[in-house]
Amino acid sequence: MDAFCQSLCADPIAALSGWFVLVPSLVLLLSAAAAVAARNLVRAALLATLSFVALGVVFIALGAEFVGFAQLLVYVGAVAMLIVFVILLTKPEQLARSPLAGAGPAGGILVAFALLAALLGFIFASPAADKALPAAAAAAPVAAIGRALLGEYVVVFIALGVLLTAALIGAAVIALEDEEP
Amino acid sequence: MIACLETAPTALLHWFLALLASWGVPAWTLPFVSALIIIGVLLGVFLTLFALTSVLERKILARAQNRYGPNRVGPFGLFQPVADGIKMLTKEDLVPRSADQIVHFLAPVVMLIPALMVLAILPYGRGMVPAELDAGILYFFALGAGTEVAVFMAGWSSNNKYSVLGAMRAIAQMISYELPLVMSAIVAAMVAGSLSPSAIVEAQGGFWAGVVPRWFVFTPWGFAAFLIFYIGALAEANRSPFDLPEGESEIVAGHLTEYSGFKYALFFMAEYVGMFAICGLMVTLFLGGWQAPLPFLDFVPTWAWFLAKICFVAFTMVWVRATLPRLRIDHLMAFAWKFLLPMSFAAFFAAACWHFAGRGLAGWLVSLAIVGAPYLLLGGAFARRFAVSRRTYRFSQ
Repeated sequence: MDAFCQSLCADPIAALSGWFVLVPSLVLLLSAAAAVAARNLVRAALLATLSFVALGVVFIALGAEFVGFAQLLVYVGAVAMLIVFVILLTKPEQLARSPLAGAGPAGGILVAFALLAALLGFIFASPAADKALPAAAAAAPVAAIGRALLGEYVVVFIALGVLLTAALIGAAVIALEDEEP
Repeated sequence: MIACLETAPTALLHWFLALLASWGVPAWTLPFVSALIIIGVLLGVFLTLFALTSVLERKILARAQNRYGPNRVGPFGLFQPVADGIKMLTKEDLVPRSADQIVHFLAPVVMLIPALMVLAILPYGRGMVPAELDAGILYFFALGAGTEVAVFMAGWSSNNKYSVLGAMRAIAQMISYELPLVMSAIVAAMVAGSLSPSAIVEAQGGFWAGVVPRWFVFTPWGFAAFLIFYIGALAEANRSPFDLPEGESEIVAGHLTEYSGFKYALFFMAEYVGMFAICGLMVTLFLGGWQAPLPFLDFVPTWAWFLAKICFVAFTMVWVRATLPRLRIDHLMAFAWKFLLPMSFAAFFAAACWHFAGRGLAGWLVSLAIVGAPYLLLGGAFARRFAVSRRTYRFSQ
């Protein structure tokens, strides 16, 4: 404890650098909880957006710059906007008629815990769980990520590309049918 | 003397930090002091540019329309920004009673912060990057997403139909034009082999035949990508002819309808700083960043070149505003999805072919063909579809 105090006085930044990640983590948890609790749908969406931002900052604080920026670009730029558009374009009566509306809070909590259990199962089953966190997380250079994507994982990469193209064409087809009476 | 100017900004900073250290300031605070000074300088430069542009834009528009423009406050009306600032600060800050107070207050803040943060990754001169990021270009676009959220917050929280409609238009436009924008930026990043802005500028150094600079804009694929990026930048910055989120004649002022006083001024400021930031990225990606345009002009400091290029690109944006009428919303969307996006894919493919054909004359011709063919085909289709015929009037001369 004494040694920690001394290093705190000499160079507080280096002493505390491992703890900075706690700030965005706290924001992430609080905003996610507030999003679930919010009664107003649009406010809930905005709080969820804040939690996306906080998650991105957590990635960046852990040294995963590329993942962090990609998280911001995809989740804040696209997913959050999609959620907001869906809320604005859906009529309230359509919401009331949806089969999910009758499940109530108990159903929601059940599904949430089932999802949590499944995710935890996958996390502990993965080989990454055995590895200890590196003392100073070395940022993987973007070029290395690019080489891995187009080298080792190229099949997955192309499969995802095909999936997204199919989704895009599907969206265009749905949009086209509206125009023809 | 002139060689001193090149390194003057960094030398001054290092001298000041050494002075602080000699006064016994703890070493761990120095990076913070250094960052604060850089932030202060950036804010000073860009807010001065914003103030200057707000009056010069009106001057240029006035010149284009054969008027005088602002000429009452100070010499040539140059103190107009001061008068505008005082007016904005002293105006009443109106918030609608039915507005969502918190979100209404936060929207201008969320708008301005990312616009200022993206300034960190631009290489202002040789070795003058405030934040050297490996994924700098990605950082720029990731923070750009904040603008969309802010526009939505402003539109929805105002509880006004024009605000919501304007925000939806603005978001639809930004999402549509972000795609060609990012695709054309990727072209430059791909050829340079890096997402780091300074590496992209380094890749554009040198001259062909000792005269033509090796900027990406002087290759067929680079020229196409530059034009696509320019159009996308106009749309992202809400500049005319893509300013229909705020089309006064249709939806009052869009998401800004319920904003007044200094909150409105913050939106205005964010828009202009965002415009300069995207001009800076355009200069970095395609116009050689801080590189001099001709070999014998190398003596001019690199940061002066960068600022001059930014100002020139911003001037052309004002020029476009004075020249072109506003687009219609369906034309706007069709243009983004049916013309710009396929063209950006073509530029992408052309750049890859240019690289694999050896980056020489053969690559030049091949990439010209790959960019030119879809341009002629798509352009021809668009010209036929939106052909303007002579209008005949039945009841009047």
